Amino acid sequence: MTRSGAAVAALVAGVALAWTPTLLADEPTYVGVETCVTCHDDKEASLEGTPHGQAGFAKLSARNCEECHGPGSAHVDDPDNADLRPTLARLTPDERTAVCRNCHSGGARFLWDGSAHASQQISCADCHSVHSPKSESSQLQRANETEQCLSCHKDVRADLWKTSHHPVREGRMSCVDCHNPHGGQGAKMIRAASVNDQCYECHAEKRGPFLWEHAPVRESCVNCHAPHGSNHLKLQKTSVPYLCQECHANTRHPGSLYDNTTLADAARASNRIFNRACVDCHAAIHGSNDPSAPYLGH
Amino acid sequence: MRANAVHSSLTAVAAILVLSSPSQAQSGSSSGFKLELDPVTIAYESVDVDTESAKFNEYRDLKDGFLLERLNLRGSYAGGDRNFSVTARRAGRDDAFYAFDYRSEGSYSFKIELNRIPHRFGNNGLLLFDRTGPGRYEIDDATQASLQLAIADQFRTNRAGVNYNFLNGLLQPYLATAGTVDLALRRDRARAELELGKAGRFAWGLTLDHEDRSGTRPYGASLGFSNVAELPEPIDYRTTSGQLNGEWKGERGGVQFGGRLSRFENKIDVLVWDNVFRLTSTTDPNAYTAPGSSSIGGTAFGRAPLVPDNEAMTLFVNGRGKFGLWTMQGSLSYVTMEQDDALQSYTLNSAIRGIDEQGATFDATDRSFLPQSSADREVDVFSFSGSAGVPLGKSFKLDFRARYYDYDNGSDRVVFPGYVRFDAVWEEIGRITVPYAYDRTDLSADLGWNIARGTRLGLVAGLREMNRSFREIENAEEIFVRLDGSTRKGGFWLHGHLELGDRSTDSYHVEAQHDSFTHPEAVNNLPDLRKFDEAERDYLDYLLQADWALSETLDLTFGVSGRDEDYSKSLFGLHDDEILRFNAELNWRVGESGNVYLFANRADREVFQLSRQSGATVSTDPLNNWQVRFDELNEVVGLGLNLELAERWQLDVSGRWSRSDGAADIFSPPGGTPNLGVGFDDYEDIELLASVVDLGFEINDRMAVGFGWRYEDYVAESFITRGLTYYLPGTLLLNAENGDYQGDVLTVRFSLKH
Repeated sequence: MTRSGAAVAALVAGVALAWTPTLLADEPTYVGVETCVTCHDDKEASLEGTPHGQAGFAKLSARNCEECHGPGSAHVDDPDNADLRPTLARLTPDERTAVCRNCHSGGARFLWDGSAHASQQISCADCHSVHSPKSESSQLQRANETEQCLSCHKDVRADLWKTSHHPVREGRMSCVDCHNPHGGQGAKMIRAASVNDQCYECHAEKRGPFLWEHAPVRESCVNCHAPHGSNHLKLQKTSVPYLCQECHANTRHPGSLYDNTTLADAARASNRIFNRACVDCHAAIHGSNDPSAPYLGH
Repeated sequence: MRANAVHSSLTAVAAILVLSSPSQAQSGSSSGFKLELDPVTIAYESVDVDTESAKFNEYRDLKDGFLLERLNLRGSYAGGDRNFSVTARRAGRDDAFYAFDYRSEGSYSFKIELNRIPHRFGNNGLLLFDRTGPGRYEIDDATQASLQLAIADQFRTNRAGVNYNFLNGLLQPYLATAGTVDLALRRDRARAELELGKAGRFAWGLTLDHEDRSGTRPYGASLGFSNVAELPEPIDYRTTSGQLNGEWKGERGGVQFGGRLSRFENKIDVLVWDNVFRLTSTTDPNAYTAPGSSSIGGTAFGRAPLVPDNEAMTLFVNGRGKFGLWTMQGSLSYVTMEQDDALQSYTLNSAIRGIDEQGATFDATDRSFLPQSSADREVDVFSFSGSAGVPLGKSFKLDFRARYYDYDNGSDRVVFPGYVRFDAVWEEIGRITVPYAYDRTDLSADLGWNIARGTRLGLVAGLREMNRSFREIENAEEIFVRLDGSTRKGGFWLHGHLELGDRSTDSYHVEAQHDSFTHPEAVNNLPDLRKFDEAERDYLDYLLQADWALSETLDLTFGVSGRDEDYSKSLFGLHDDEILRFNAELNWRVGESGNVYLFANRADREVFQLSRQSGATVSTDPLNNWQVRFDELNEVVGLGLNLELAERWQLDVSGRWSRSDGAADIFSPPGGTPNLGVGFDDYEDIELLASVVDLGFEINDRMAVGFGWRYEDYVAESFITRGLTYYLPGTLLLNAENGDYQGDVLTVRFSLKH
């Protein structure tokens, strides 16, 4: 190396050494949980009893508060500067979600990317709360899973209160029994690959396959049923017999008009409209193994 | 700055020292065993309901008596490294829930739970039959003989006199002394779940589910157009499944994979019931109309195979990864579903002779004359769903989504030379089973534009394609376009979407119905009817919702949404299905933990369908047309408050009022058959008022008492239950109570924490 080259190198090194402390000082560093709780002891208290406040969390994350909020030295150095506060609200929805997914990216959350909620810029913090959860599990902002979903999907609430309904409002099941809010295989974030596969989880007797099939049943349960709730028997979208007559106008009785004059209290009372109408004879409406039931009677 | 830097440095060092020090468990300084009961609640319920309606306890078990209403027991040891909880709700009741959870955070967890779900359909149904065994309903021979004789006498002297009035008169003395039955079932659902290594790179899970479902539900058992008997279908189901899954998470992606086996068993294969009107079996060409002026023949008892056992096996793999700027994820699954139950014979009616393809007769009660002895059904399903997204610059993002579902029914087609209609008569109409199959493809592209922080616009365009075999339409394609947007600023959030879709199809083959006949008959469905699930349609789907934090404690939400499905290219069938919804909600946070809320929802739905009545042949006369327009209005209003009234006093109140008001407007042009059409206003008019008031008082830090009052008022008017009695033309009904009720539940509870 020439003398001038050495001089330049020394100069560069000297500048670097002089500037390094400054550069390093600009990057915030971790201050540790004890520092955080000096001022934010309420936040520490709020974690008690939650998974984030238990010893297991400390085992997984050496940085406690700063695992999620990021290094806090800048905030500690200048606590009155709102711009330096490591609050998650300052992040974009994707950034907020990325914080949680550092640990929570598997299991039910595996298919988050590309999901309906992700594409709509919904973040974990829109449903969950680490510091002030209201639910007994899953750390939700609302009292339970159903109330959490209804906080945005308000159009479904009216359906849940219809006379024919799944036992959601009784607390026997919830939205997440069928839907995965983190992203599912099927459309509308259904957990299973299709509506039918989802319904078969609880209604396995409808799975078949059967000797005699009913094609619209095989394709989709929601061709005939409204799973969120209905005014009609058995979650039917429209009441029998009219539901059946949307497809069947065959000769003789399928295409006949059943009206007020054929109800049970009328002179022309017909068992094709009262009680369970068509299904009182065509009882195997979802499919049948009976060699004598091509019309899905018994 | 220097002092802060030193402080920060020292703090950092201290933190490092603390976090790297041995755990308390390792150091043995304390086992740290903690047990917390928070709480255990014993309650006494007193129930007063004015009717026996099963609707009151449809999915619950409210009744007089003590119960363990709640138990939350939590514990931890090893310095909090091990945690467990025991939970019970309404222990001992039909709607109980139990759970046990044990975990080492980040290492493994084990959970087991039992969920009991009752489902009540109706109380005090009148049952003329005696249940003499699983799936067996009998009437004593003397009754059958007496009724058969009386009917035969009438038929001999005056055939037309075998009518409803006559049969009703015969049955009434027996109905007057018949027993009653409650129709209800209960699901007992158990789940055990083991997870290993959830927080690590590899995770494993094993889930076992088992459900027992037992009880009865209403079932239509028919022996002819004029001989339907509603019976309690015996339910004794077992559903068992197990899933083993694994997961690997890397820096830039991951894989999930697993397999699942599911088996459904029905412990009661068949329902057999006596024919009320016959002790001996006969047959004649009109026996399926019996008892009536054309025939009084038929079987002495009917037989209905109940749902068969089945199995399903699923293999799946999910993957995700980042490849440069692209983020991709996908799911693949393969499912095989099998059902191979033994087939029952054509009938139990020993008077019936079957006729085979060669014209020879055979004993239709003998299973050996079936073309095969078991169902031998198998379906394979292959499905894929995936997405790939890439940012385009700082403000745009492009996502592609695809979904493919292939339902491949590989079952053989089984040919039957004929069948027995209603156990009454052999129909020499050759039938062949139809293994419906289809595949469905959904493709879409979503261009998102982050206009500003918190504001996004999205434009989605897509295609849905359906290919079917053995149905009227083989190929249908639906294109759709969707615009969605969302903006958040401060406490204001506005979001919505507008979606338009247009489905087109290839030609409609109304003769597809021939596929289930060995010798095709004349088409007997209206040629211009289009089955709505296949038909051409346009649709509009929209939503606009605003959420506004008016202040730190007050939130307001208002929204409108709707969907309009237009099948107007179908001359007959479903023509239009439209719904418009409004919702509004006000939420006021009071104090530290109090809350008052008010909400209202309104949904207005209209459905319009057209048809034409035909006689023995398809009608071409427009005077035989009929149409029906259904109007359904649904409203729900609710309010609630959770308040700390004073120190130690807590009040929770909730009230819901829901109403549905439906009407059917029916029209048929005069001069045809039908001549006019008469609508009705009770197309499900239902009203429910439900309120709950709970007042709690903390005696001290450990004990609390509570007083609860639940009130419900349910009124239902439905055209299908209007005028129901135990015997109506052609139909014996259980007529179980499932209607109006007014009910009060008073609850006193005592809670203990420790």
